[in-house]
Amino acid sequence: MEFKDYYKILGVDASADKKAIKVAYRKLARKYHPDVSEHKDAEEKFKEVTEAYEVLYDEKKRAEYDEVRQYGSNDGGFRPPPGWRPGAERQEDFSSNSDFSDFFSSMFGHGGQQSDFGSRRRQAPKGRDIETDLPIFLEDTLSAESKTISYTIPQYTADGRVTEIIKNLSVKIPAGVEAGERIRLKGQGEPGGPNGVDGDLYLRIRLVPHPLFDVEGHNLIITVPLAPWEAALGSKLAMPTLDGKITMSIPPNSQTGQRLRIRGKGLVKKLPVGERGDLFAVLKVVMPKTTNDDIKKKWQELADQAAFDPRSEWSDKL
Amino acid sequence: MNNTQLHIMKFDELCRVAELPEHYVLEIVEQGIVEPDGDSPDQWVFTTQMVSITKKAVRLHQDLDIDWPGIALAISLLDDLEQLRAENHQLKQRLNRFTAC
Repeated sequence: MEFKDYYKILGVDASADKKAIKVAYRKLARKYHPDVSEHKDAEEKFKEVTEAYEVLYDEKKRAEYDEVRQYGSNDGGFRPPPGWRPGAERQEDFSSNSDFSDFFSSMFGHGGQQSDFGSRRRQAPKGRDIETDLPIFLEDTLSAESKTISYTIPQYTADGRVTEIIKNLSVKIPAGVEAGERIRLKGQGEPGGPNGVDGDLYLRIRLVPHPLFDVEGHNLIITVPLAPWEAALGSKLAMPTLDGKITMSIPPNSQTGQRLRIRGKGLVKKLPVGERGDLFAVLKVVMPKTTNDDIKKKWQELADQAAFDPRSEWSDKL
Repeated sequence: MNNTQLHIMKFDELCRVAELPEHYVLEIVEQGIVEPDGDSPDQWVFTTQMVSITKKAVRLHQDLDIDWPGIALAISLLDDLEQLRAENHQLKQRLNRFTAC
C-alpha cells in the first residue's frame, strides 16, 4: 500500500493551522479541478488533494493520521505500525465519494462493505455516468456511420468485489456531427445497484486532424501549392476533396494567400438537411527546390523584363 | 442490442437521472447558464449539451464552493477559453501548412 503524505500533497507544513490548510486546498482544487484544468493528471490530482483536505481539515482524522505518519517510510511504502487496526470496522460513510485511495480507506473506512484492498468501490444505487471521447474521421461525418466503441465499466460480483470488464457497443453516429458535441446513450454507463438504474454513456465527439483539410465551422480549408508559372499563367489542376477529386481552375495572376471557394464540398450541416459547407483552397506559391544555369538565365530575363517592385510600399522609407 | 440514443431531457428527468437537486437546476436556468426551450419548468427541454453543462455547473458549485453567479461567469469564461484554444490550435496548424515547404 502506498503511503500518502497529505501535508506534501497540499504543500503545507505539518504545523499548518486549519485556515492555512483550507487556503492551500482551495488553491489546488481550483488548479486541478477536472472541469477547469488542462493538466493531464487533473482528475487524479484533484482526488488526491480532496482526500488530503478531508483528513487534515478534520481534527480527529488529522490526529490519527499524524500518529500513523511517523511510520511512513522513505521509499513511499507504508507498513502499518504495530497494534494498528485498520479502521474498516468504523463504518464511517464519507458521502458517496468512492474515489479515496486504499491508504485512506484502510485508515478511515470507506462506507464499509468489504475490507479487501483493491475492491474499495461501493456500488451506488444509480450507476455512474461515463463520459468518453469518440474520435471521428472527417470523412465519416458526411453520412450516418456505425462505429463500434470499446470502454471499460466496473462489474460487481455477488460478494461485493469489483472487476473491470470491456464493453463493446455499436453506435450510429448521425451525419453532420460537430467537434465537442455529445451523444447520450441511456443505460450504457456503470451498472446500478440491485434496485437502481444503470448510468448513461456520454460520447464526446472529437474530430481527428486530417492530413490535408482544416476545419473552420462547416467549411474546410486546403492549402494548394502552386509553381510560380501556374500562379502567373493560370492552371487547371486535380484537387482532392473529402469525397473524391475535382478539377479546379486557378485564374492567371493568382497570389499567395488567395482563397478560392468550392461550393458544397465542406462538411455536412445538420440543418437544413443535406446542405454542406464550402471548401476553401488557399493558394501558396512555392519555388522549385533545384535549378540549373538554363533556368537561371530564364529567371534573369524575366527579372529584366518584368520591371516589378514587390516592395514599392517601402520606397519612401528607405 | 440496446443503444437508444437520446437527444433531449425534460426537467424532472434531468433531476432524477443526473441526480441533481431541483433547486440547483432552477438556479442554473435562472442564471442563464443553460437556456432550455419552454416557458416553465414542466415544459423545459434540455439538450444533451445542456445536460453536460448543468452537471459541470453542479460539480463546480460543490467541489469549489463557488456561488451561482460565479459559476455562470466561470462557465462562460471556460467556454471562451475552450473556443480560443481550439481556434489557436487551428490557426497554428494552418500556419504550419502555409510556411512549411
